[in-house]
Amino acid sequence: MNNLNDETLENLMEPKNYGKLENPTGVGVALDEKTKEYVIFYTILDGDIITDVSYATNGCQDTVVIGSMYSDMIKNNNLEYANDAIQRITEKLGELTKEQKVCSDIVFTAFIASIKNCENRQNGEDEELHVLKMKESCEATNMENTDDK
Amino acid sequence: MINKTYQKKHELWLSLTFASFAITDEAIKSRLYDFAQIAFRHMKWLGLDILENDENYNYDRDMLLYKRDSVFDIIEALVKEVEDIQSIYGDSNLAQRIKTDDIYLLEYLSQILKDESNNKAITAFNMKREWLDKNLSGEQIDALTIFLFEESYKEYELILVYAYMQARTQNIKEFGIYQDLIDESHFHLKSFGNMMAIMGILALPRELHEMTYVIKDVKQFIVDGIAEEEAAKVMCKELSDAIKDEELSKFFDFINYQESYHIELMQKLL
Repeated sequence: MNNLNDETLENLMEPKNYGKLENPTGVGVALDEKTKEYVIFYTILDGDIITDVSYATNGCQDTVVIGSMYSDMIKNNNLEYANDAIQRITEKLGELTKEQKVCSDIVFTAFIASIKNCENRQNGEDEELHVLKMKESCEATNMENTDDK
Repeated sequence: MINKTYQKKHELWLSLTFASFAITDEAIKSRLYDFAQIAFRHMKWLGLDILENDENYNYDRDMLLYKRDSVFDIIEALVKEVEDIQSIYGDSNLAQRIKTDDIYLLEYLSQILKDESNNKAITAFNMKREWLDKNLSGEQIDALTIFLFEESYKEYELILVYAYMQARTQNIKEFGIYQDLIDESHFHLKSFGNMMAIMGILALPRELHEMTYVIKDVKQFIVDGIAEEEAAKVMCKELSDAIKDEELSKFFDFINYQESYHIELMQKLL
């Protein structure tokens, strides 16, 4: 993502699958407690197939672009494909900085949280959304990079 | 129940604002921006009315920013949007005020459409990513692009978050500080939006999720907001250093100093 190509630019100008989703089967949030950055992921599962997804974030543009590409990639695919998709995106985007890796992690973690919420609901739990807290923070990687300089 | 009139007014404010950014004719740009600011005040008054009636509103939107090719395409779309919203205002004194403002806006839009010389091509969406006649390197253009996307979203977010807080405070001092912060963010959004249009990358800021604007801990929100302003200052400084263009560097230094005063304003809220 070091060079902004047309595809990245399109995703910046009009992120795909952005916003809320009506009647999701799972809602997951990944939260960076240090920066308060979050990604919320809405998923509709039919068996193993992800029939619809959307996401929203207050995060940076890297998070927006990765969320857009990832959600587009996994829509109408199965869970196994979704689990591998983040790696495919990483390969597609080329070498990511530490901050960008945190961005891809927060998107993927939000998706995982939405699947966990699906499972919890299926098991009879009354859980509105499932929250997972990030281990790595964008702030920490920023500070590391500053230290590097 | 969530108020639909508020949502439609929010969408109209954005449509007018971004039409103003997209159009290069300075007279039309300036006039549309004035109307956009009037629409924003309508939003504010509608919001206060809704809360007084123990109802609520949110920042959901159902709109796209179409990549239109000509000034008339933009103006015709605005005419339709303004006409469509008229039936939902109701009959209150506020509704009457809004309707008379909108009638005058429609008159102004029709005047633009009568003069074929106004119908210029729109370049705000062509993705050329050139900064005027300056020869910035690819790296500098990428840095400027990312900055404009980050900051235009951030200013839109701040406008709406502060407006949300302002509508819910009973404290006059706080109300005034929020107003200052909103006014400052309007100016920044206008600056960045016009720059995005020049570069051919004009785009709507993404929709705000309620996790962003429904604030449960105001003090923590202000503390986090100050940290964000500090981060924005660093980003401005980095960009100012990276871009080897005196005019742009001076502009980013100017924005940087403004961010410093935002921090002062926010500290008064603590």
